[in-house]
Amino acid sequence: MSVLRPLDKQPGLNTATILLVGTEDALLQQLADAMLKEDCASELKIHLARSLPLPSDVNRPRIDLIMFVVNLHSKYSLQNVEESLRHVDATFFLGKVGFLAMGAGQESHCSIHRNTVTKLANTYRSPLFFCDLEREGFRATVAQRLVRMLQICAGHVPGVSALNLLSLLRSSENPAPEDL
Amino acid sequence: MERRPGEQAAGEPADCGAGGGEGGDDEPPQGAGAQAARPEARLTLLLRLRAQTKQQLLEYKSMVDANEEKTPEQLIQDKHIEAKIEDLEKEVEEVKTAFEMKKLALDRMQLSIALQKNLEKIDPKTSVLMDNMKHVLKLNKLIMKSHQESWDLEEKLLDVRKKRLELKQSSENKLLEIQTEKNKQKDDLANMENSNKIKAMQRNLKMEIQITTVIQNVFQNLILGSKANWAEDPTLKEIVLQLEKNLTTI
Repeated sequence: MSVLRPLDKQPGLNTATILLVGTEDALLQQLADAMLKEDCASELKIHLARSLPLPSDVNRPRIDLIMFVVNLHSKYSLQNVEESLRHVDATFFLGKVGFLAMGAGQESHCSIHRNTVTKLANTYRSPLFFCDLEREGFRATVAQRLVRMLQICAGHVPGVSALNLLSLLRSSENPAPEDL
Repeated sequence: MERRPGEQAAGEPADCGAGGGEGGDDEPPQGAGAQAARPEARLTLLLRLRAQTKQQLLEYKSMVDANEEKTPEQLIQDKHIEAKIEDLEKEVEEVKTAFEMKKLALDRMQLSIALQKNLEKIDPKTSVLMDNMKHVLKLNKLIMKSHQESWDLEEKLLDVRKKRLELKQSSENKLLEIQTEKNKQKDDLANMENSNKIKAMQRNLKMEIQITTVIQNVFQNLILGSKANWAEDPTLKEIVLQLEKNLTTI
């Protein structure tokens, strides 16, 4: 059971679970706190992980959304994310996976080019968000976005599904897939 | 590896995250109004849960349907897969837009029926609705007029541009003609200079000049040899000086 599958468990009533995968523990924790502060009608459950595969002995609820957090300042985080991507089932990428790139603001510290992350997101056809997780205001904005996305991916918003959202998000960044 | 504190953070929100957005909480602190508010809050919660479960059921159903399609087993190249994915995505987009259009048309029909029913009920001359509609019609007329004006202006602009282009082309032609004429003249001149007649003429001229020079020198030497003082006699002086003229420079 080392591969994460999206719909292998029953959903919890009124519960939405997000899994944040990334190497920056402190920032992930802060992001989780910001998300919990957000106004949301359903219960939020946030799981933090350094890398996949997750230990299979824990009884955890069905994961609705996976966000891979890449720190543009460290190549190790990108490697980590690429490693973890292998443990995710293909059906997850139908709108239930997203990439979050942080640290794009300080160009001088960036060891990964923005295009690398963009290409990664395009290969997996998943949305990519840029955010500076160290500033409170930006963190709150991203937390809000993530909460909305999570609600949609968990099926709490009638009429909009994860795939629908994916194609909505896609149309604003249209030229990218043709470059590949 | 999952971190245990992560699980803990998950435990806490059950308290603060539950029912936060809706007006009614599960456990409102007030006393008296709470009793009346609670069944309504529970009703809202139940309705919301119903909508959620419906949506989730839809998702599972669609997954089941999707899994029934057989995926091709042989290895397809990356580019083919990309192309197929894009085709499928286009299909999805088309279906979505068609659905949206149909929904819009349906909404429009419903709206017009509702309007009709509304108009039948009320006095058509004094309602705010009629004022709104008249305003809308006025604005539409204005829009059409300005569209027409801008169209006319664009036409004029196009005409001016066409004329300019024509003028440019004709001036180009004229310049080309001038150039060809000049070239022709140059060629003619060069031809003339190179023609044989002129060469023969030039040769004859040279010969004549040489003969005359020789005769000049002969006469000069005759006069000098006669040891006459030619400087004193004006006619002799004139003759000698004339013989000095170098004929090649004429």
